[in-house]
Amino acid sequence: MKIKNFLALVDVKAKMSLKSDASKLYLSYLWWILEPVLWVLMFYLVFTVLLGFGRDILFLMMGKIPFLWFSKSVNSSSNSIVSGKSLITQTNVPRQFFPYEQVHTVLYRQWVTFLMLFGLTMVYGHMPSWHWLWIVPLWGVQYLLILLVSLMAAACVSYVRDVRILIGMAVMGLMFGSGIFWDLNRIEDPVKRELLVTWNPLAYLLDAYRDVLMRGEMYDLQHLGWLALVLLGGLVLVHLFYRFMGQSMASRVINS
Amino acid sequence: MTTGDILLSVEDVEYGYNSRVWGFKRVSIPVLKDVTFEVRRGETLGIMGRNGCGKSSLLRILNGVVAPTGGKVTHPKHISRILLTLGMGFDKELSGRDNALLASMLQGYSKKQAKQSIEGIKEFSELGQFFERPVRTYSSGMRARLGFSTALLTEVDLLMIDETLSVGDQQFNKKAEKAMMEKINSEQTVVFVSHSGAQVNKVCSRALWLEDGVIKAQGDTHEVAKEYKHFMNNLAKKGGKSAWQ
Repeated sequence: MKIKNFLALVDVKAKMSLKSDASKLYLSYLWWILEPVLWVLMFYLVFTVLLGFGRDILFLMMGKIPFLWFSKSVNSSSNSIVSGKSLITQTNVPRQFFPYEQVHTVLYRQWVTFLMLFGLTMVYGHMPSWHWLWIVPLWGVQYLLILLVSLMAAACVSYVRDVRILIGMAVMGLMFGSGIFWDLNRIEDPVKRELLVTWNPLAYLLDAYRDVLMRGEMYDLQHLGWLALVLLGGLVLVHLFYRFMGQSMASRVINS
Repeated sequence: MTTGDILLSVEDVEYGYNSRVWGFKRVSIPVLKDVTFEVRRGETLGIMGRNGCGKSSLLRILNGVVAPTGGKVTHPKHISRILLTLGMGFDKELSGRDNALLASMLQGYSKKQAKQSIEGIKEFSELGQFFERPVRTYSSGMRARLGFSTALLTEVDLLMIDETLSVGDQQFNKKAEKAMMEKINSEQTVVFVSHSGAQVNKVCSRALWLEDGVIKAQGDTHEVAKEYKHFMNNLAKKGGKSAWQ
């Protein structure tokens, strides 16, 4: 399949999945707005009303919303090849189609949640400026990260289903370890902080979102550049894996 | 390339897999052994055999979905092929039109080409206004019509058909059979798989008979169908083991 046709297929399929999902629900597309609003309300209830964190609701959402983009994509991609079994038995569509489609289905809903986030940022008194455009490279790199992790997760699960449970746990672990509920600048030991930022790209990205939108500062651009390069390298490798192991993956999915 | 050239050749192909039973316990299941044959451009090759003889696995290998565990399959680098089955992964919440678009694109069509082929699919399927409605509102016959029309109206180098001659009511069946025969009589290369020798006899020029993963006979359809019929009649009379025993 030509790359152009592959990407068009991913695009069309993802949009249709959104349409199909929405048609199953009474409130259909309204959920795109309702879901993030409910998240904010829930956080408000727990952290502002119950625990009295005050202003920190924005801080929390600034971590939670980009994290949800990551976790939803990875969770839905991890099972995508296994649940695409009926299609895999009949066509030799490249296997990476299945995780790609899931990643894009989640991606196309993100603009609503980020609009919410921008709105919330303004409510808390941070007005939009040209500096906000530095969000765009962060989106790009986060997309690469999501794609890489999703492709790897889907491939692993297609061989050994048990991995899915571990992936669920790992995503949960990342939620606590990426600085959604706490500020990583508060880690006193600089070595530990450095380690976390280096080995957990999500921690770095979430902090960078806060740098741009809340602190009006600039994140470490060089770090972002290196991260992008490493992710691109990883993506090349994982695509090669799909290319050479596609048939063996299909055999495992069909005959298991 | 012209008619009669070899489109795809299968040499000493073996296929088997490990199936997990429980926990780490696995059983290995041999499916195909020493299968050798070729598919020529423009011909209609029939493959007959009873349930569990390895037909579906052979089709998956021909389709490039899985690789054989032994032997080799050779073909030109870019050949388009499709296995015609009914209701290929339809999303029931989407309309017939959307599903047809997706199905065409899954076969490697560009969005533009897929959109162009849709009107033909709509017309052939005779679904009328239902074509714009979600597939969940279809009867099973209507779903079959959509599946058949989508698969048949796309052009591929190698078309594989897995016993799907009866897809709808009598009138549509007739039309479907006619369209399929047109395909078969045209330059289209077809591999037709069935457990019914009579069906293969009706449409194919050359055939092979698969039993327990091995080719028992191949060549002229009448001869092969006769042998296969004889074997099946014997089995029915005297009783015998299933293919997988």
